[in-house]
Amino acid sequence: MATPVRSSGAERLRPTPGDLLVALAILLSALVLAWALRPAGSGEALSVRLTLDGETLAQYDLTALDGPTRVTVDQVSWPMVLELSPDGVQVVESRCPGQDCVHTGAIHTAGAQIVCLPNRLIIALEGSAPEPTPEFDVIAG
Amino acid sequence: MSSRPVLFPALLCAALLAGCSAAPGAPSGGGSAQRTLFAMDTLMNLQITGPQAQEALEAAVGELGRLDRLLDRNEPESDISRLNAHAGDGTFVTLDGSTLELLELCRSCYETSGGAFDCTIAPVMDAWGFGGTGEDYHVPSQAELDVLLPLVDSAALDVDAGMGSARLTASGMAVDLGGIAKGYAADRLLDLLEDYEVDSALLDLGTSTIAALGERDGGGPWRIALRDPSDGERQLGVLALSGQALSTSGGYERQFEENGVTYHHILDPRTGYPAETGVLSVTVVGESAAVADAWSTALFVLGPEEAEALWRGSDSFDYILCRADGQVQVTEGLEDSFTFWGDEYGYTCEILRR
Repeated sequence: MATPVRSSGAERLRPTPGDLLVALAILLSALVLAWALRPAGSGEALSVRLTLDGETLAQYDLTALDGPTRVTVDQVSWPMVLELSPDGVQVVESRCPGQDCVHTGAIHTAGAQIVCLPNRLIIALEGSAPEPTPEFDVIAG
Repeated sequence: MSSRPVLFPALLCAALLAGCSAAPGAPSGGGSAQRTLFAMDTLMNLQITGPQAQEALEAAVGELGRLDRLLDRNEPESDISRLNAHAGDGTFVTLDGSTLELLELCRSCYETSGGAFDCTIAPVMDAWGFGGTGEDYHVPSQAELDVLLPLVDSAALDVDAGMGSARLTASGMAVDLGGIAKGYAADRLLDLLEDYEVDSALLDLGTSTIAALGERDGGGPWRIALRDPSDGERQLGVLALSGQALSTSGGYERQFEENGVTYHHILDPRTGYPAETGVLSVTVVGESAAVADAWSTALFVLGPEEAEALWRGSDSFDYILCRADGQVQVTEGLEDSFTFWGDEYGYTCEILRR
């Protein structure tokens, strides 16, 4: 019976314990890089962003708060007072005429917004845990 | 034993694996562009997908700014301000073609709605404080309304498209296009997008006016939830929309309270008072956003019975009307595209058939 012929190249392709270590190192590096390059805002932190006429006016990390904290926004036409808390934000006072921003009440989920039209100000919550897939694309009304 | 050059391939593989997730805001396929902006006294959101999405978006934003400057009666140099300033002096005011087209459409909607939609409502709006920033809401006296109501008359708006001009024939008259301008802007944007090979678009011009083109990301028509007029946190249902526009009118949009009574901003041009016809909100769906805009106001003013009669006499629109008694009426053209959720909140749904 003939002895199977094995080339020296086939011998080299056989995985060794060292190859397994390299594969594990690649996977570990991928996980570390994926974490480092994760999209901003998709983590656990909840923050509020104030956008005035398209430009970010301020951003506050809500998870760093111990309790309700009031912030005065006076860089707008009608100054307002926000109450920040670890789980959301609301406008508690505004000198704007319509008071719609005050009537909106508190918002608690990422993606929710309070809009003050007279001030052209958007108060938006960002970056909580991933939001559930909505059943619609936009709300009319 | 020879050493193997493993470091570089290992790092390369790691970097490739780490990059498998999409970047934030990246389009899922083709080009897409999105912008949130303030225009026409509201917050708008435009989403466009197509090979020239960014160019289309910039053009759309530019067109919104142009129309805003033409149509805002609180902007001193706008077409409408110039028209209003010459009310009653006999002057035909030269206007942009877009302004003329819109004024002609206003006249048409006025006639078709029997006066329930009237763009010359401005003097009465101002008497209530609804024409400005909301700093001066108050209930006008009946004597004041009696003086102002004769000025609310679109029949006294002369539009001469051939000469490119228009005039208001009585002193004190004034035009306000708040009930139709956003719809007209949506129509103009849809026309404009045809020049940019746009695959799909969702034009949200302040939640009350929405136009949808093509399919949403993931396939299928765009899904537009309709706000429960009694609770802004809830929805009456969801409407599948593609190649059409909708407009919603509801008393909750702007209102104030005086002596324990709530007054909303949708005024009946015939009485000068907020329309009280047992309607909480009306959403009109049609191919023209401007017509949907005008009709949503008109149907709110006319009430459920006249709204149904007008719908039976027209094939250009459908509607969803939420009555104060909890009944939601849906015309049959929307039966297959509307999913009703209101039963969770005590509403009932009725399909109106021709």
